[in-house]
Amino acid sequence: MAEVVLQAQRIAKFFGERPVLYGLDLTLRAGQAAVIVGRNGVGKSTLIKILCGLSPPSAGRLWLFGQEPRSMAAQQFRRVGVLLHQSLLYPRLTCRENMEFYSELFAIPDAGAHARRWLERVGLQRAADELVSALSRGMEQRLGIARAMLADPDLILLDEPFAAMDADGVALVSSLVREALAREAAVIFTAHAPLEIAGVDLRMFKLESNGLTPFKDEGRRGSLRNLLRRN
Amino acid sequence: MLEGFGPILRKDLRLEVRTGESTVVLVSISVLILVVMVLAFGPAGARRAEVAAGALWTALIFAGTMGATRALLSERESGCLRGLLLSPVEPATIYAAKLSVAMIFMAQAGIAVLVVLVLFFNLDFGGALLRLLPVFLLGIVGLAALCTLLATVSGRVRAGAMLLPVMVVPLFAPALIAGSKASAAVLAGQPLGAVITWLKLLGAFDVLFVTAGYLLFEHVIFED
Repeated sequence: MAEVVLQAQRIAKFFGERPVLYGLDLTLRAGQAAVIVGRNGVGKSTLIKILCGLSPPSAGRLWLFGQEPRSMAAQQFRRVGVLLHQSLLYPRLTCRENMEFYSELFAIPDAGAHARRWLERVGLQRAADELVSALSRGMEQRLGIARAMLADPDLILLDEPFAAMDADGVALVSSLVREALAREAAVIFTAHAPLEIAGVDLRMFKLESNGLTPFKDEGRRGSLRNLLRRN
Repeated sequence: MLEGFGPILRKDLRLEVRTGESTVVLVSISVLILVVMVLAFGPAGARRAEVAAGALWTALIFAGTMGATRALLSERESGCLRGLLLSPVEPATIYAAKLSVAMIFMAQAGIAVLVVLVLFFNLDFGGALLRLLPVFLLGIVGLAALCTLLATVSGRVRAGAMLLPVMVVPLFAPALIAGSKASAAVLAGQPLGAVITWLKLLGAFDVLFVTAGYLLFEHVIFED
């Protein structure tokens, strides 16, 4: 059986006295993909921040690759790729400089060539020398996804990756997710509404105030075509 | 152990060369403080060396707090600090890189202050300034180490930049006394041997602040 990449047990998060997440369980193995669906403000972004080890849960436990995030060696974070609401890109550096910087940070050999390959992969080769602050939201999102995936991580966490994306962008993200799953990475992403990616067996969960529940309303699943129509 | 140090340092310097914001702000504020001190106390008089040393360290304290804040500012834009924390780089390495950037910013401001100091206080450009160099270097290492650690904490609270000097000055007070006493002595023409005790004290505080920052940074950098 494939390695358990992520295991969350009774995760809860409080901001002061206010509960944001409560009693959340989730297990994901290598090669599996899950989408977490929820309305605005339900805690999807908070959950992603907890699952990547950036923000500790107020209660419950989390293991990434069998270790609690705070006890993981920094080198282990090479295996985790994260896209948050903020792009985590330096607005006053160009696309190329941002990708080269992160490639160097991840100690990827020949950072320049690696950055160039990823810029081509996400269709930003023509914008390579533009400052990130000059990019459109959709282009910045593409670059943010490239940044998250540049080290071929084994666990990929994407917070609303389809937000601000045009049709080509949605197809690009879908193909990157398929490629990641093909090399046995585990992928979790969040979305406002249920959706499907062709050729991907997605486990769908609904995030509500009482926790994470498997999504049962199959009739409401939308294809990417529907997602595009909604956008 | 210091994997990632080079890329972070290079990136910060590239950003600074591109915008020049920190250099302009720090040099302007530091020189302004010095001018205010000169206007308040006058450039001449028997206590010229003491006043010049006081002016130098007042300017350095503000350059230190602002330099450390500016070194972390680029990481707070677009959540880039989270990008660093999610990379395979030890928090202590991030601290070391940010400390180096803060020291470079402070050194720039300090050199500008020294030039103005020499002109306004009619000091000797030669021996006294050379003897001031070790005092200056030991001072900025400790100050930058403390300011970088505390700027990380203050950056997480509202009006944190305003609070930073309030946190820094009491903790840095012993080193500040040592630094200003040693500076006054060498500017008055005394040899370095006469201030060796103050230099040792400054060095001891450098070790203390750098070690504390290196060990504590990972506890203050992550989110709650």
